[in-house]
Amino acid sequence: MPRFRLCYRQEGRARYVSHLDIVRAFERATRRAGLRLLYSQGFNPRPKLTFAAPLAVGVSGCREYLDLELEEEREPVEVLEALRSNLPDGLVPVAVRVVADGPALMSLVDRTRYLAVGPVPEGFDARALQAELAAFLSRGEIVVERRSAKGLKRKNIRPGIYSLRAGINGGKLCLSMELKAGAGNVRPDEVLKALGERLPLVPDDFAVLRTALMSRDNQLLWGGKGDGE
Amino acid sequence: MTDLERILTRVERPARYVGGELNTIIKDWERVPVRIVFAFPDVYEVGMSHLGMHILYHVVNSRDDALMERVFAPWIDMEREMRREGLPLFSLESHRSVCDFDVVAFTLQYELSYTNVLNMLELAGIPLECRARDSGMPLVVAGGPCAFNPEPLAPFLDAVFLGEGEEALHDLVEVVHRYKGGGREELLMALARVPGVYVPRFYQPEYGADGGFRRIVAQAGVPAKVVKRVVRDLDRAPYPLRPIVPYLEAVHDRAVLEVFRGCTRGCRFCQAGAIYRPVREKRPETLLDQAEALLSNTGYRELSLSSLSTTDYSHIKELVAELVERYGNEPVNVSLPSLRVDSFAVELARSVQGVRKSSLTFAPEAGTQRLRNVINKQVTERDLLQTVETAFAAGWMRLKLYFMLGLPTETLEDVDGIARLARMVLDKGRECGAPKGRLAVTVSTSSFVPKPHTPFQWEPQAPLPVLRERQAFLQGRLKGKNLVYRWHDPETSFVEAVFARGDRRLAPALRRAVELGCRLDGWRECFRFDLWQQAFAETGIDPGAYAYRSYGYTDALPWDHLDSGIDREFLTREHAQALAGETTRDCRNDQCTGCGLCPNLEIEPYVAEAGTGAPV
Ligand code: SF4
Repeated sequence: MPRFRLCYRQEGRARYVSHLDIVRAFERATRRAGLRLLYSQGFNPRPKLTFAAPLAVGVSGCREYLDLELEEEREPVEVLEALRSNLPDGLVPVAVRVVADGPALMSLVDRTRYLAVGPVPEGFDARALQAELAAFLSRGEIVVERRSAKGLKRKNIRPGIYSLRAGINGGKLCLSMELKAGAGNVRPDEVLKALGERLPLVPDDFAVLRTALMSRDNQLLWGGKGDGE
Repeated sequence: MTDLERILTRVERPARYVGGELNTIIKDWERVPVRIVFAFPDVYEVGMSHLGMHILYHVVNSRDDALMERVFAPWIDMEREMRREGLPLFSLESHRSVCDFDVVAFTLQYELSYTNVLNMLELAGIPLECRARDSGMPLVVAGGPCAFNPEPLAPFLDAVFLGEGEEALHDLVEVVHRYKGGGREELLMALARVPGVYVPRFYQPEYGADGGFRRIVAQAGVPAKVVKRVVRDLDRAPYPLRPIVPYLEAVHDRAVLEVFRGCTRGCRFCQAGAIYRPVREKRPETLLDQAEALLSNTGYRELSLSSLSTTDYSHIKELVAELVERYGNEPVNVSLPSLRVDSFAVELARSVQGVRKSSLTFAPEAGTQRLRNVINKQVTERDLLQTVETAFAAGWMRLKLYFMLGLPTETLEDVDGIARLARMVLDKGRECGAPKGRLAVTVSTSSFVPKPHTPFQWEPQAPLPVLRERQAFLQGRLKGKNLVYRWHDPETSFVEAVFARGDRRLAPALRRAVELGCRLDGWRECFRFDLWQQAFAETGIDPGAYAYRSYGYTDALPWDHLDSGIDREFLTREHAQALAGETTRDCRNDQCTGCGLCPNLEIEPYVAEAGTGAPV
């Protein structure tokens, strides 16, 4: 059965929707669009709809991916148009293509890039910020607390921070980060929180956008070099 | 980041507050003269499951000169953040402050949401008392079942809409449009002249020297009695075929098809059965068209056939068969929310559910035949046992049985009867070979609350200690393998009873309860009986005088000026018959039992042609 890969944006009000609810929204959209999704067999049939990496609530994404399997052959452009007119406002399809059978989309994702934009900490200019970040990253350990089903856990996020850069743009602090995904993942709010302990910045003041998902060999999931984007 | 964006990162399920769901309508604010916000006094997931909201949203937004947006009660975490940041209550669609709208329209589905009404007004920055609102403030109106006795809320509501809202909302829009920018008093007077609209400030209650309610006097120029509105032809009534599809899982996460309105069974405790008369069905062809549109516009995988008693629909068998034929492979499930206690209903449920994985629910309501006759629930023990036998034979293993505790004339024997019935059902299950590990009979009880406009409106509620004692008794009798007992806390039913038959003197107690922190009372984890008691005590209210009051037929009732269309004589006759243990037949199929509603409102019941759908 044909498998399609959709690249989409999740933005605006839709960024407050949890991943589980996003899955349902896509499932319903395909039904409205008359695309016949394949369902798993059994008691509780599940749609063949897999996502690259759940987006945290509150974060937007401008290059998100999902794979969907349909019962019938369709032109990718048809699938794209059908989804375009059937999704709620904040879920915006960008492109669709056919992909060969292969490993699950989720297993491909190794790193993620984020852009966090917020107020410039009082009394800092770009240079001072760069110096602070360098000092921050030079630590061998950056420990944060993460809430899990079993309560609070302490976790060293330093190994999962591949890069962290600061710039000032239009009077705003722009932090771009490249972080580990999958096992040992680091979340942008954890980086902001840890930074907040050394700089006068409040994580809640930052708007966070996921800009890219990349595979181990630094390829975008769509193909093409990660750096080239 | 705006204040709102910052707050949203800190609360649970922020999607409750932002809108943007599929099929939402956002109009150009500047170009629309009449702006209404529909306010549901409970959380998003509850409100979005409410069909009435979808209907009114559709009705108002289909007009060019009006818009309707939505707002729900914030959960505790959101309220805390909003208060901390000084962010007023805002609508989901345009994120505008509720107090910028022309009208805030509440629906009153249950008494326990009254604290949310006041709390939402407060969060919106709208003065609670109508008299303190000037013409720059929105008009605060309410409808829904509790509108049939809104007296405890009277000082806070500018206008109350009695009965069905589909047509009345058009009148509201027109009147608001015409009087926009003018004086409040003229607007209210114009509203008071619209059929079905009650403007409490034009009605003055009088109390006797003994403190009893004496009567309510209408000011000159407004009707002495306000009669409910009713839609004549449900088949042609506007229906939301493009309902909003929430991202969040609502309590009922499915497409809803209203099959008919009204119920003819005449259960004597049931307020919905009284206030939604007469029965009005839609035609099967209409329903099939609507089902098609609903499913294709929403993408839902479940279609719920909704009404007060869906099995009673005259063409139910054909309708269900056709729906299963059309959508059975999609996969779309058809669901029946309430099942009548008979084998026909089970067969029907079987035809819509290929795999019997879930449980079936029946509501015998009372444990003995005597008491079931009293409440006019015409179900016999034989019916129930036959029904569950059919269910077990068809493969269901989990059954739920609903009962009420504290019904008029109830004795311990009736309560014991509940346990006895449950055991008989369990035995049937074993007889039918249901595997021990999976067989489960769940008994749920709620406490009887006397409701206005029903034959039991004169009856007292059973005292709290009695309710607790009977619950404990039942708990003792329902111990055992494969039996589960669930109950509602009687304290919440007590507060419900106080307000259900309350008068205006309760308003200060309500207000005090909100000040003390009562809200979201329908949620077990939020309900604070201690604070309620404190509020009653501080405002000099004896709540028992309301809940436990037994009225005589000639006593004035605080809701006497609100007319459901049913004759008082019918209610007294039903009440007397209840006490005598006599039943009254169903008024479906040309067997009018003379409640007076049809002649009074010049309407006729509509049943979609011959064929009862009932077993012969
Ligand atoms: S008047 Fe007769 S037919 Fe009409 S609702 Fe009452 S009992 Fe039913």
